[in-house]
Amino acid sequence: MKIKILMTLLSLAALSLLASGCASHLVAGSWPGVIADEERAYVAAGPFVYAVNLRTGIEEWRFPEKASTANPFYAAPALTPDGQQLIVAGFNHILYSLDPLTGTTNWEFTASRDRYYAAPLIANDLIYAASADYTLYAVTFEGDLAWQFSATQAIWAAPVSDGAQVYFGALDRTVYAVEARRGTLAWKQTLDSAILGSPALGTDGEVFVASMNGRVYALDGQSGDLLWPQPFQAQAQIWAGPLVFDGGLYIADVDGAVYRLDPATGQETQPRLRAGSAIVSRPLIYEQTLLFGTENGSLFLLTVPDEIQTLEVDGQLYGTPALAGEIILVAPQNADSPLVALNIQGVRRWTFTPEK
Amino acid sequence: MWETLIVNPFTNVLLLIYNLVGQNFGVAIILFTVLIRLITHPLMVKQIKSTQAMQQMQQSKEWQAIQKKYKDDKEKLGQEQIRLYKEMGISPFGSCLPTFIQLPIMLGLYQSVIRALAASPMQLLVLTRALWPLPGLSELIPINSQFLWMNLGQPERVYIGGIGIPFLAIIVAVTTYIQSKVTIPPVTNPNDQSAQMNQSMALMMPLMMAYFALSFASGLALYIVVSNLLSVGQYALLGKVYWSNLLPKSRRSDGGKTEKAK
Repeated sequence: MKIKILMTLLSLAALSLLASGCASHLVAGSWPGVIADEERAYVAAGPFVYAVNLRTGIEEWRFPEKASTANPFYAAPALTPDGQQLIVAGFNHILYSLDPLTGTTNWEFTASRDRYYAAPLIANDLIYAASADYTLYAVTFEGDLAWQFSATQAIWAAPVSDGAQVYFGALDRTVYAVEARRGTLAWKQTLDSAILGSPALGTDGEVFVASMNGRVYALDGQSGDLLWPQPFQAQAQIWAGPLVFDGGLYIADVDGAVYRLDPATGQETQPRLRAGSAIVSRPLIYEQTLLFGTENGSLFLLTVPDEIQTLEVDGQLYGTPALAGEIILVAPQNADSPLVALNIQGVRRWTFTPEK
Repeated sequence: MWETLIVNPFTNVLLLIYNLVGQNFGVAIILFTVLIRLITHPLMVKQIKSTQAMQQMQQSKEWQAIQKKYKDDKEKLGQEQIRLYKEMGISPFGSCLPTFIQLPIMLGLYQSVIRALAASPMQLLVLTRALWPLPGLSELIPINSQFLWMNLGQPERVYIGGIGIPFLAIIVAVTTYIQSKVTIPPVTNPNDQSAQMNQSMALMMPLMMAYFALSFASGLALYIVVSNLLSVGQYALLGKVYWSNLLPKSRRSDGGKTEKAK
């Protein structure tokens, strides 16, 4: 009898271990995203999207009312040009329009069959929402589907638009250009590996894209043709999208190296800089300074061309910081506070800690 | 430790197999299951021998006499049972241990499947750091998670008329039940406690496995189905499959001894 009881207990313990071990891997993650208007910061930080008063650092509202741990929010929200709608995209496959003042829902767009990891792009009077269900949805400001375009793998990065076309990369190693109003394919170009970051638009109609295996490409925005004789090869994987700034093309890799390339040739134009930790998102532009979030929880500041500085924050800074006037907003992962406001000297204005 | 010894090696081996078989993750899981079964085959042989020894003990005249003698003294009966186990060199856990070894393998495989499929940015970041520095391994990402009608990273459902039917979970339950039933020797002594436990496990395990298949990535369910089929195959090769256990008791003409024990 004792053996029977022991074996039953062992069975239950083993099965519980299996169940909990499996369940612990159910919730897959991304990293927090933040934006701001003149009044508030909006941070998508797991179970809630918080609206935080910019002057006081105090929470004004949170969405949804009840914590959603199984279906969190990570994609940075986006504001419509009139500032009347805050567009929020969740792991629950739903795109929401919220009132930025109160957090109440205007409408829901439910066509997606998978999660949203990418921040919505608002351009051309449309909301472009890239989903992990392989689809780019163009949604009107009333929440209706304008068109949709399907890639052959998930889309994790936000699209960009020059007004005529929308450009985005997908995990299927392909860059797509679709007509902004109708969603018809203009061209597509298949590269060497998955594309995890947003493209960058050049001043002469180029589209710059980085692939996961560390290659950077320049494509012709009209035809998709490759413009450089060969892609630039970084030393490590590239997750962050490139950035065109001050006549240079800036790239960062997961080893924390920051490169400046000549957009016309793809050649490095200055010695590479070291942030000391992985960079997986595009930097924030603050006057002449680029602010890169790094995995070890510090901000790496590059004042163009080559003056560097580091500001210690907290947790892991995977996402792109946001700017509100002179306030820099960072949303750390695995930190006590999902939102920290500081100035360019690194002095903290406030730290937002949500009430339980 | 768990990550280093189990999850990371499983993930890399899975990806190597995935690359070898033309980037089909379902086939990779099937071949990986075959590999695991081959590695754990000696344990299974030990389990079968232990089960057989246990059965012989249950049928022995000495044990039956002890049962008769101490039928009103459960404690003494238990002590005598343990003594007999020792005398006959039987480990009471010998028949169950291989089953328990399967559980951490299942857990490791599940975590490896989820890790390899890297369905989110954070998972992909973790995966890229877990990859062995072998040429071409990082080129495989992202993994194609489609296999037949399934997305191996998601729980499986077949939608008919808008209703999601967990087809794979049903197959998991059926194959687990069959595997449990046909690999357990028929009960000859109604008072045999281990046999009773085996019978209750034969009912509990299919339900548990079906629950896992319902709730977790279908890659795990695929592993369970293949593992069940291979298990039955291994028992059959050793001549230890008792197909008659699937028949109602009234139709078992030979008392369940349909297979000759070797």
